Amino acid sequence: MYGFEAMTFNIHGGYLEAIVRGCRSGLLTASDYNNLCQCETLEDIKMHLSATEYGPYLQNEPSPLHTTTIVEKCTLKLVDEYKHMLTQATEPLSTFLEFITYGHMIDNVVLIVTGTLHERDVQELLEKCHPLGMFDSIATLAVAQNMRELYRLVLVDTPLAPYFSECITSEDLDDMNIEIMRNTLYKAYLEDFYRFCQKLGGATAEIMSDILAFEADRRAVNITINSIGTELTRDDRRKLYSNFGLLYPYGHEELAVCEDIDQVRSVMEKYPPYQSIFSKLSYGESQMLDKAFYEEEVKRLCLAFEQQFHYGVFFAYMRLREQEIRNMMWISECVAQNQKSRVHDSVVFIF
Amino acid sequence: MERQESSENGRESNEGISVKEENILNFLDSVDGYLILMDSLSSTLRQGWLELASARHSMGASRINSTLFDHKLHPASTTLQVNEQSAGPDRELPHFTLCKWASSNNPEKYFEEAKFGEDELLKKSNSLRHRDISHNSGNVCFPTFRFDCLGKMTRDQGFDLEALGSISMRVLKPVTNPLEMVVEISNMRASLLCAYDQVQKDMETATK
Repeated sequence: MYGFEAMTFNIHGGYLEAIVRGCRSGLLTASDYNNLCQCETLEDIKMHLSATEYGPYLQNEPSPLHTTTIVEKCTLKLVDEYKHMLTQATEPLSTFLEFITYGHMIDNVVLIVTGTLHERDVQELLEKCHPLGMFDSIATLAVAQNMRELYRLVLVDTPLAPYFSECITSEDLDDMNIEIMRNTLYKAYLEDFYRFCQKLGGATAEIMSDILAFEADRRAVNITINSIGTELTRDDRRKLYSNFGLLYPYGHEELAVCEDIDQVRSVMEKYPPYQSIFSKLSYGESQMLDKAFYEEEVKRLCLAFEQQFHYGVFFAYMRLREQEIRNMMWISECVAQNQKSRVHDSVVFIF
Repeated sequence: MERQESSENGRESNEGISVKEENILNFLDSVDGYLILMDSLSSTLRQGWLELASARHSMGASRINSTLFDHKLHPASTTLQVNEQSAGPDRELPHFTLCKWASSNNPEKYFEEAKFGEDELLKKSNSLRHRDISHNSGNVCFPTFRFDCLGKMTRDQGFDLEALGSISMRVLKPVTNPLEMVVEISNMRASLLCAYDQVQKDMETATK
């Protein structure tokens, strides 16, 4: 029953909640980012990061440093923390933690299939996969000829199997179908995660519902904007929207028929939580939309830590770390390309 | 009489000097134009690299990486034509022209090239995975950008849907300007070399 988690949560989840709150205190602050933004070279960035929790992961990296190396090592730290939490977790927290990685699993499946379609070496593709989304039979994806085989040979034994029911066709895999498959899988995953959180109930359901609803709405907006002017029909576009969220169902009906960004804006401005996001954009502009969405997401994720005895803190921590890695990647690229004037375009401060 | 001859000689030498000066000015103008174009290309490419990093930041490294590039053989969507233009009595100047796919001025040529591309693709592709082109009525879809003669993306089938999620049109604009700039630089370089040849000949004539 909601409100009584304080009595029982710490029995199984207390240790890990303490761990994740401790990890949260290691997130980079605004002053860290200001120091990083003033670096002249990637070596300077490495030097500044040596004083943070990333220090041990970067200290042995030889010069010259590359931006992908920095991102890779930061991601490795996140993976180590995640694996520690997963090994210590009991049900239902362990299932919750596994749900967090299914998005990366979907991205890895699509990466392997796309790369194989483009005749890339499987080993090269495996190196590009996100470590959080790896599973045992992932290399076997390269032999599948269509979605039916993809499911039958590989994915039937993975957690993604239930999400394939809407994707299974005998159509050959090509770039178009793969993108539709990606978006359909992600939709099914989000809905399944939402249902799982609802079943958990209590503060977890309340907090995760808000975060996942925002994710679903953001996806709907991105799919709408990216499909404007393409051959994707209104019905096909509508099918890719998740069946929950603030925009469901009336907002989705309006988004499905949008033909330009200003129409999307007029739809979204009817919803108060998104008015502030679209008010920051000038008419016809969409470049800053991603940053605005990231900022809103970070705000909601930080709010998850204001309450105790729920699993939302784990999801929030993972997402905040991923945002931090994105920030690191952007700062590194701007420094490496000598474009420091643009460094604040995409950095989202967490604290 | 002598004064007339000397004035005629003076006029001829003045005209010769002005022609030589004109050649030098042409050469210097060509060099200036060339350097401006090179600087402009460098700036555009620099901007392109940052836009690519921005796309990777926005969509994730797993969606923007080298696996998006197809290792299969495809007919070129953009070709370069080299013509010879007359630049004087004994000289020909190479002239470069960019020919883009799906030119709205020449739809028949587009379909011919597309059909040629389709046949070549079917012969050369060894992969069992192939795009179902039977219902495309001769229009072949390639996972590349296609442009019309104005340098803007066309709404050709296949490409547009690939933009859904695979590459966000919002964050990664097609890089058409550098190609045109490179062709312009090539033409400018050709005229620069031609002007340099002329200046060199003038100098040789002067030393003789």
